[in-house]
Amino acid sequence: MPPRPKPERPRAARPVTITAVVDPVAVLASGDLDQNLYLYDTNRTAGSAGFGTPALKTRVRRGDTLLWNVIPLECETFVALDGIDIAGDVAEPERKVYPGTDIVFWTATVKRDLAEPVEYRLSFLVGTVDKPLVSVAAQALVGAAPEGRTR
Amino acid sequence: MAQQHGIIVLVDVANALRERTLDGNAYWFDNMRFLGSTGEGGANLVTIVPGTYYLDGSQATEQVLNWLPAALGAIPPTVPRNYHVEQARRADQEALANLAALGTAGTAPAGTAPAGATADVAGIQRLVGRRAARPKSSRSLASGRVLDVTGRVAGADAAAAYNPPAPVITDITGTAVDEKIIYPAQYGSPDMVYDGWYWAATVDTSRPGTYPYTMHFQLHELVERNDELVWEPVDLTAASSIHVIKDPKRNAFTGAGLGALPIPAAPPTP
Repeated sequence: MPPRPKPERPRAARPVTITAVVDPVAVLASGDLDQNLYLYDTNRTAGSAGFGTPALKTRVRRGDTLLWNVIPLECETFVALDGIDIAGDVAEPERKVYPGTDIVFWTATVKRDLAEPVEYRLSFLVGTVDKPLVSVAAQALVGAAPEGRTR
Repeated sequence: MAQQHGIIVLVDVANALRERTLDGNAYWFDNMRFLGSTGEGGANLVTIVPGTYYLDGSQATEQVLNWLPAALGAIPPTVPRNYHVEQARRADQEALANLAALGTAGTAPAGTAPAGATADVAGIQRLVGRRAARPKSSRSLASGRVLDVTGRVAGADAAAAYNPPAPVITDITGTAVDEKIIYPAQYGSPDMVYDGWYWAATVDTSRPGTYPYTMHFQLHELVERNDELVWEPVDLTAASSIHVIKDPKRNAFTGAGLGALPIPAAPPTP
């Protein structure tokens, strides 16, 4: 009997989550966001890079749903993602809250496949400072790896 | 006593479950980098524990460590854990209201469904979502209702879209414990951010050195078995260490010793 063709793996229903771990006390004490910003995503096995740095490069494909959220190192201190500055033809992030709370996350759909990395910048509200802090280092979305290199 | 150390372990739960290891899937942090902790945000955190003696040479009090696990790619821990229950209840109420509306809207002859009712019922089923059973061996306090990562009740594709529950610490072992450098235990807490439970340890700071320890985690995988969703516990371990040094404790504001707040004549240079 000929081998049955492997069923196409369905696209994961879970979004690619990009999590910013922020040490708010250190940010406020030093005034330096980048030194105290650690970025991660859930796409490491697909080839994302720069984990634990402010210059995270997330591997994405057209149609992927992205979700950005924040984990403060001290849960008593306020940190929220205030904005995502990215080219509108790549993604249009939308600010949302977990239903019934005021805790913010952002979500977007990747509009096209990326031949070149597309940089973007996250900005955060920390503590009671009203001016958002923007990371100096850029984050990036990176297109799919050449065939045969992923997974 | 000095400020308590908070050690956060961020676990990429989906990848850890797929690879059945925490190697490369656990990221460690503490809030003591300014005192000399190294490896923040990576797999090899060494937590600094200063303060064997006070500046006057007397034995310092012990240091306290707290461990807080979090799941990457999940609803963040700033959303209180009882949120899961609240969301499930809210969805139930909405579904009941819709069900009641469905009943009063029925004007079709007996025995036939009113137009649109089938679609409405499907919508209500989506709203109700799915429940997952919890085996006896599971330590998770996650609710039975399955939510997705945006905090909504997960529908028919729950097993693919579910919000991974935060890892649960089940034990702390290793050299640091065997040599009686740390005395870990699980405590109850009124703080619902971490389910009302947390692991903490006191450190014997009189013996400087680097002491590794092993953290035992239980992750939970949602699997479909006999047409039923079940939270399957998966036990994994990850390692970290503490570095006890001889440096005396200092007041972080003044740079001087502890005790009565010794306010210097001039502000200390940073």
